[in-house]
Amino acid sequence: MSLTLAWMEWRRFMRTPLAWIALALTLALLSWSFLGALESFNKLPAASRRLGLTHHLGLQLYGLASVLMLIITPILTLRAFSDPLRNGSYALFSSAPLNNAQILIGKFLGILLYQLLLVLLPLGLSLSLWSGTPIDPGLLLSATLGLLLLSAGFSAIGLGFSALSDHPGVAAAGSYGVLLLLSLLDQHTERGSFLHWLAWPSHYLDLQMGLVRLHDLVYFLTLILFFLAFAWQRLERRLQG
Amino acid sequence: MLSGAFHPHRSTGLDPVWHRKATLGAEASQFMTELLITRQLSRQFPPREVVQPLDLSLARGDILGLLGPNGAGKSTILRMISGDLAPSRGSIHVCGFDLVRQPRAAKRHIGYLPERPPLHPDQRVDEFLYDCARLRGLSRSAAIGARARSRQQCDLNEVGQRLIRKLSKGYQQRVGLAQAILHDPEVVILDEPTDGLDPAQIRQVRTLIGQLARDKAVLLSSHNLGEIQAACNRVVILQQGRCVYQGGLTPSERTTYRLVLEQKPESSLIAELPSLTSVETMEPGVYRLTLANGKRPSEVLTELVARNWGVSEFAPETHNLEQIFLQATTGDTA
Repeated sequence: MSLTLAWMEWRRFMRTPLAWIALALTLALLSWSFLGALESFNKLPAASRRLGLTHHLGLQLYGLASVLMLIITPILTLRAFSDPLRNGSYALFSSAPLNNAQILIGKFLGILLYQLLLVLLPLGLSLSLWSGTPIDPGLLLSATLGLLLLSAGFSAIGLGFSALSDHPGVAAAGSYGVLLLLSLLDQHTERGSFLHWLAWPSHYLDLQMGLVRLHDLVYFLTLILFFLAFAWQRLERRLQG
Repeated sequence: MLSGAFHPHRSTGLDPVWHRKATLGAEASQFMTELLITRQLSRQFPPREVVQPLDLSLARGDILGLLGPNGAGKSTILRMISGDLAPSRGSIHVCGFDLVRQPRAAKRHIGYLPERPPLHPDQRVDEFLYDCARLRGLSRSAAIGARARSRQQCDLNEVGQRLIRKLSKGYQQRVGLAQAILHDPEVVILDEPTDGLDPAQIRQVRTLIGQLARDKAVLLSSHNLGEIQAACNRVVILQQGRCVYQGGLTPSERTTYRLVLEQKPESSLIAELPSLTSVETMEPGVYRLTLANGKRPSEVLTELVARNWGVSEFAPETHNLEQIFLQATTGDTA
């Protein structure tokens, strides 16, 4: 049932101009970054190239992709619950044979389906070099996995705040606030501390560089589950009035 | 006059004996015949109890109207019965399934149209109805069939390809109604279903409700007396969350007679007639009579004429819903 709902949500979202504008802008910016990465790599003298081309792409292209995801995701999620809760259309789901967890997972997967399109853009751009130059597919897969986990984590945060308030503005402000906080913690906390562990950039950097480490995967899964549980708890509280 | 019909301290549609003496067998048989049963259903939004314990029972063919002023608790009751809001106390059984303990099984038999139709404005009508059918667990082919049927029932064939946000309010209301009935639910819950419709559309919806009630139970709310009178065969009147009346729309056992006499005798003299149980003086020469059990109006009239009081008017005075409502909510007997 959640998969049916996810498919519906994705199809419905793809009917909106926002979906196509976000896709087009992301593609344009990533293409520009891709060309920039190629150019800067070519300009480097062969002797000073410490990292390969795929590493360059992993850092620059996937770095920009993560920032774009941070900007786009709260816009995708802000109306997920706040709109239907405010205009009453949530009754469509609550009176259907679905529980709140199924509704939440359906919405989450629907957003993730769309984000998958965005995540595939840097992968597609990088793979376009396949015939001309050696590419490290393992590193690209690792960076893609990192971007997907990051998107899922951002979506979970967005859904949590969307379920928190009937006002999309509050949902967006809350999501951006937490995302920025989790970004800034990386630079303003002591390495090795718990607060530093809470920041996403260092975990994402490992995956960007091709390092798939268990503690990074645990971090992203914890982030996703924590905020989905938060959203579910908000929906249950709403049911209780 | 209507005191027998009011339950200020006990709001029940079930025989009270049922509460006291129900055996497991009787209970099971009730669950089999009744499509919707609520027992002591209540809802608190602290510190207020917005719905006081309410017992309802709907069988196939019932069209029960919830009537009450704004804020009486109608929408809260419907939200609880549709699964959109958890009750504070009490139970709801839909087709034998406990809505709280077996929500998925119970909700398969519920169709719900909230006060504001739950629509996705950016979808086309056909696409929206198909999605709703799939959400209700219908297979792809069944969803297409269900969509065609409900579109036909709600007269939406010509707008199937239109975007919902571009439809008039009346059409949007009909799309909301279509989504409520497309999975052929046993219990249809409609919150102000004719709101925003023109008179022709209102008549259409009433006809549709009548058709639905042939093999379903319909529960609808309205603050419009005429609406309830035209569409329902039973009514629950609510005031500040309390059920103040539950029963038929014009209870025949409550029929009284208006009598006008030229001689203006004392009511005690009229009360001596053997075919009457009570006489009430409305104004000098105008009386309200209640007939004794089994007595016909013609017998009373014969007795009155024999006394030579100059009968100038003798007519049945049935209580319409407006009188019931006024008496239930304000105590006004006029």
